Amino acid sequence: MKSYFKPLIEDEFTGEPPSKRLIAHIQRERVMGKGVVGIYCGYAPYEVIRSLDLVPATLCAFSNKPIEEAEVILPANLCPLIKSSFGFIKTDTCPFFGLSDVVIGETTCDGKKKMFELILDYKPIHVMDLPQLPDEPDAVDHWENMIYKVKQFLEEKFHKTTTDERIEEEIKNTNKEIKKMNEVFDYLAIDPPVVGWEELYDLFFLSLGSSGDEMARLIDEILMKLEKRKQSGFYYGREDAIRVMVTGCPIAGDATKVFRIIEESGGIIVALEACSGMKPYMSLIEEDTGNPIRAIAKHYLKIPCSCMTPNNRRLEWIDTLIERFRPDAVVDVILQACHSYNIESYKVGEHIRKKHGLPFLKIETDYSQSDVGQIKTRMGALLELCDEGLIFKKAARIKAM
Amino acid sequence: MLVAGIDIGSITTEALLFDNDKGIVGYTILQTGSDSKKTAEMALEKVLAFPSKQISDISYIVATGCGRKRANFAQQAITEITCIAKGVNYLFPEARTIIDIGGQDTKVIRVDEKGRVVEFEMNDKCAAGTGRFIEVMAKALNVDLDKIGDISLQHKKEVTISSICTVFAESEVISLVSEGEALEDILYGIHKAISDRTMGLITRLGGPQPEIIMAGGVAKNIGVVKALEKALNAQIKIYVEPQIVGALGAAMLALEKA
Repeated sequence: MKSYFKPLIEDEFTGEPPSKRLIAHIQRERVMGKGVVGIYCGYAPYEVIRSLDLVPATLCAFSNKPIEEAEVILPANLCPLIKSSFGFIKTDTCPFFGLSDVVIGETTCDGKKKMFELILDYKPIHVMDLPQLPDEPDAVDHWENMIYKVKQFLEEKFHKTTTDERIEEEIKNTNKEIKKMNEVFDYLAIDPPVVGWEELYDLFFLSLGSSGDEMARLIDEILMKLEKRKQSGFYYGREDAIRVMVTGCPIAGDATKVFRIIEESGGIIVALEACSGMKPYMSLIEEDTGNPIRAIAKHYLKIPCSCMTPNNRRLEWIDTLIERFRPDAVVDVILQACHSYNIESYKVGEHIRKKHGLPFLKIETDYSQSDVGQIKTRMGALLELCDEGLIFKKAARIKAM
Repeated sequence: MLVAGIDIGSITTEALLFDNDKGIVGYTILQTGSDSKKTAEMALEKVLAFPSKQISDISYIVATGCGRKRANFAQQAITEITCIAKGVNYLFPEARTIIDIGGQDTKVIRVDEKGRVVEFEMNDKCAAGTGRFIEVMAKALNVDLDKIGDISLQHKKEVTISSICTVFAESEVISLVSEGEALEDILYGIHKAISDRTMGLITRLGGPQPEIIMAGGVAKNIGVVKALEKALNAQIKIYVEPQIVGALGAAMLALEKA
């Protein structure tokens, strides 16, 4: 039987970088009169933004290109994500920033916090003070207050008002999308997986600028295609590919070199732990609480970013992912100078080795291509040690050809 | 049956022929230069010349090293981490910790009794503390690379090189020269710096487990070996030609597959 394969999203952007589809989407929304809110991070309360009929736009932060220009002002020894974000703004090359009316930032790390001060002249920017001891009793109160403030900021800037009912409605839309996305993830849990990481990135990107309701409808179609793929015996990568879970810093654009190396070396990506991956879909927002803003505050504070201390939720979340996606190895990708993820990597590595008995590899990298050779060697060795038998199988196949 | 392993490193390329009855039949070491593909072909040609064999006599070839994908004649490319572990296991079956310092990488590998990699650590992307680092320092001091080990053993005092970055260490070394520090003391400081950095990788892997084996070109530098032995408080075993261990392991893997 010939296996079934059709792109999950079929439009003029099929095969293009996922950001292109998102730009077109946001441009359409803007033409229809919607305001655009630039955001940097998964802590931004999407439901409040959408309840005001505004479109969230994730700002560019993943290309090596504007870094040189950024380093004129920023120190070279800084996280590439911050340098890239700033460089995009400085060189006026981020289409999302151009389309944004206002920007929301969060105090997730010192580098971002201080970078925000440097872009104040470009767009109105509202910084949310993120509590970093999330288990303290007053942390939720504080974050709830910050969400009220961002709501006020948006209401003033766009001369609009929102209601608890509208926010509640958006919570339900988000939940619908989270549930649907998890159904897509089920096809990644299959061995070998039926869906590829690039296809997931198409969805992650599109979801950033679309309403939960729109996404849920789109995913319904995608689920039908995935089921057809599964029935026809289609799968990604080699049948005996080593299943790899990626954890750590957000990864997109030039940093996806690591994903490509994993797959070139004979692995297949089956779980993406980061904010740029499955983190936004890890749990539902509590519905019908009578206080939707508090429900949102509670939900977002649970995001296990390494800026939080203690951050045991990340280890619990990793446990859940390992159980669900059954990786053979875990790769922790650290962006250069991201101290919190870098330090936490030790804990994560110990946890993965001791509790799950899985091989663990930390890759510290930036957006340049200079370390591709070395990453290939490490990744190759990791996958070789995962399954010594694999290389023999491959050799036998080459011989048979 | 005849198999071959070829290790295309950043500085040198080694080719090795292995016969399952006779063991190592021959090997060759060349400078990799700018055309690694051509060097790999030349190395194979050279190693075949002495037993006067043809490439068609070889049942299976495995390539390794950072240029492993450049050897078109090899049936398979396997990383040097896996190959070194195999090669060391053949030479020293009791080996559990391998320190491999090559041209641009430092690797510490933990292996099991079958020569399988249990875990490994590698230096960051810069060449600090590797063969290239020693080359640069030897050049700055105007000493022959093969003499620096012995000279450093004559040292009388502890000179500290605080930077391991090749660029910064070079200027540190130059300033030590102008301060009038003796050559042997400076060389000792350089070797000590490499040893300290390598110890960091060993500690990350949970400390040394005997036997400890050293491979790669830097194992030929007695100064580094002695500094490491002192830091480890243990003996390090080294094969008579530590540079060919990767190629030997590649040949062993070729044998398993042929």
